[in-house]
Amino acid sequence: MTIEYVDAGKAFNHGNLSKLPHSAPDVTRGINYERILQARSESQNWITYYGDYDGKRHSLLDQVNAGNAKDLKVAWIFQASATGMIASTSTYAFEACPLVVDGIMFVTGWDGWLWALDAKTGEQLWRYKHAVPIDVTLCCANVNRGCAVANGKVYMVTQNAQLVALDATNGQKVWQKTIGDVRAGESASIAPLVIKDFLITGSAGGEYGVRGHIDAWDLETGEQRWRTYTVPKPGEPGSETWPDDGEAWQRGGGNHWVTGTYDPELNLYYAGTGNPAPDFDGEVRPGDNLYTDSVVALDVDSGEIKWHYQFTPHDLWDYDSTMEMTLFERDGKKLLAHFDKNGYMFVLDRTNGELQHVTPFVDRIDWGVITRDGKFMPRKYPDKEGEPCHFFPGPAGAKEWTHASYNPDHDLFYVPVADVGATATRRRREFKEGMPYWGAAVEVDIDNMAGSVSAFDSHGEEKWRYRLDNMPMAASTMSTAGNVVFAGTPAGEFLALHAETGEKLWSFQCGSGHHSSPSTYTVDGKQYIAVPVGWGGWLEGIVPGLSGQGHGAALIVFSL
Amino acid sequence: MTIAQEREDLLSELGGQNKATIGAVLGTGSIAKATERADGTMEATIRIPEDAMVWEPGVLIMPHGGILELTIINDDKNTHACLLPSNGDKQFIGLLNHSKGSATLELDGPGCYWYGSPAGNDEGRGLTAAIVVAGEVPPEAKLDRPAQPRP
Repeated sequence: MTIEYVDAGKAFNHGNLSKLPHSAPDVTRGINYERILQARSESQNWITYYGDYDGKRHSLLDQVNAGNAKDLKVAWIFQASATGMIASTSTYAFEACPLVVDGIMFVTGWDGWLWALDAKTGEQLWRYKHAVPIDVTLCCANVNRGCAVANGKVYMVTQNAQLVALDATNGQKVWQKTIGDVRAGESASIAPLVIKDFLITGSAGGEYGVRGHIDAWDLETGEQRWRTYTVPKPGEPGSETWPDDGEAWQRGGGNHWVTGTYDPELNLYYAGTGNPAPDFDGEVRPGDNLYTDSVVALDVDSGEIKWHYQFTPHDLWDYDSTMEMTLFERDGKKLLAHFDKNGYMFVLDRTNGELQHVTPFVDRIDWGVITRDGKFMPRKYPDKEGEPCHFFPGPAGAKEWTHASYNPDHDLFYVPVADVGATATRRRREFKEGMPYWGAAVEVDIDNMAGSVSAFDSHGEEKWRYRLDNMPMAASTMSTAGNVVFAGTPAGEFLALHAETGEKLWSFQCGSGHHSSPSTYTVDGKQYIAVPVGWGGWLEGIVPGLSGQGHGAALIVFSL
Repeated sequence: MTIAQEREDLLSELGGQNKATIGAVLGTGSIAKATERADGTMEATIRIPEDAMVWEPGVLIMPHGGILELTIINDDKNTHACLLPSNGDKQFIGLLNHSKGSATLELDGPGCYWYGSPAGNDEGRGLTAAIVVAGEVPPEAKLDRPAQPRP
């Protein structure tokens, strides 16, 4: 006898089994280019990745200040850990910078998560979960650095190289675009940047021999406006820096995986680019390998490269230059500062890329020397097959992707410094699409680590240093007009430091290491400081000696 | 040390609950392919057999990314559930003893997605299975370079 099945119905959104209201006020409707141009002046909000187009990560809020920071307490905590089997199950990290618009917070997580939260209470209002394959190619774990907001929408990329636009009131998808080829080893982790009526993204995957690119997409339709490859084809400008009869350019890397900065007067987008591929085996790609390890200044309307400056020509150490290009002025001059993985601080004229000066910002540099006027002299690099070569800084660099901040009142940059070496032994391998293309066995020093939050003026003079206890910094700093610098450590401490002296004003043990970018905002006149906490990422490269530190995934918000 | 030819014999030792291991070893189940309809959407059935604590098939192949209409059957004499990946939010369905339901999933391709029964330790006992999306990304998403060698 056949027994009828019980009707189980139709599967539904898992989020329906929750207290979520699935709706949020329409706060991003009024966010447009004009408002983002003035982002810092609406200091109650944090409406774009760096807080402003200039990348300073400096807030004008001063309610929390050097005098009262000692009274900071936890206002609320948002928790979200992984469920099920996901990509980078053991190494996913919470790397985002939360955006806040009129009391609503938008924050991305690992594995396709985006949450809308009440920025005053931490209540989750809605969530979006993109389905991300477990086998997606991720050199440096399952991470995402943030979202963008405009015109009633929220935008983010996913680990499997999709760009999605969501309705900011309910998290429903409005459109989706495939922006990379996962079979080629491409992925995406960048926080998009809204400029005019489009947004800019970049690709990740430089460790897999992809060809890096920067893209612009229409805000309303997702239509592609332009794409600029960061490795030229034969015959294009810069192609003379690659072997002219080889295939190296096809796999050259140079990925733009961290958000760039923008000067609206010059109409230039400043994009940092990543390492050439293969990372350590330079013999297969003789030449300077433009535009890897560079800043490229793009005409934002066309994507045309107007000028470039290469920080590490013919890189043999994995010294990406994707980190922020901070825009500032000095003596009436438009300048750009960049703290590179190679251990040097560069200041450029941002109108034309002309070098102003170079200064080391970490104690141990022995891969080579760059003189004050930019003369580049390599000394130690993996040169012979099978022969170990130890060098400082290691491939995670003297500063990883995590950002410095800049307080213009003091002319001080607050730099998360890592002082860790590594040994690379060259091991040539044949290129195969989608497979790691490193060209070396790499072992990062497991002890002998150091790090600090260091303050440098724009000439490169170190003004103070807050030393960590035998570990590197691996999280962004944030500066405020309250004369405070906020920074989280790999051991879980969230610090408030005096902006002028580096004196520790306050700290809180967050229970997991920091590898994200804090932001600050006000609701109803009260200042909050938000920091995602969740230890993971490329720990075997950044700080293997702390890779057993323990996971975690929480957003912790502080107030007086 | 065992050689590959003995794989089927060894798998039979692993098969079933409370034999070699307490539960079923993940990733050792059957494989099936979804059917593609004329409009490009796909359909398939997944099932929990009695006392097996596994999904059949253990690996479901979608020929390309897109919409998958799933029929989900629980032939077991125990209650389970199913939590599936889909763009937007995970899809949940409760599965009483001897029940049948459905799910509509949107998945990008290519890639491998895991799903399971989020009840007790169903996932660890064996009720974890994969949906593998084959194919390529859209042509406009490919890199501007000649075809490259693959492994």
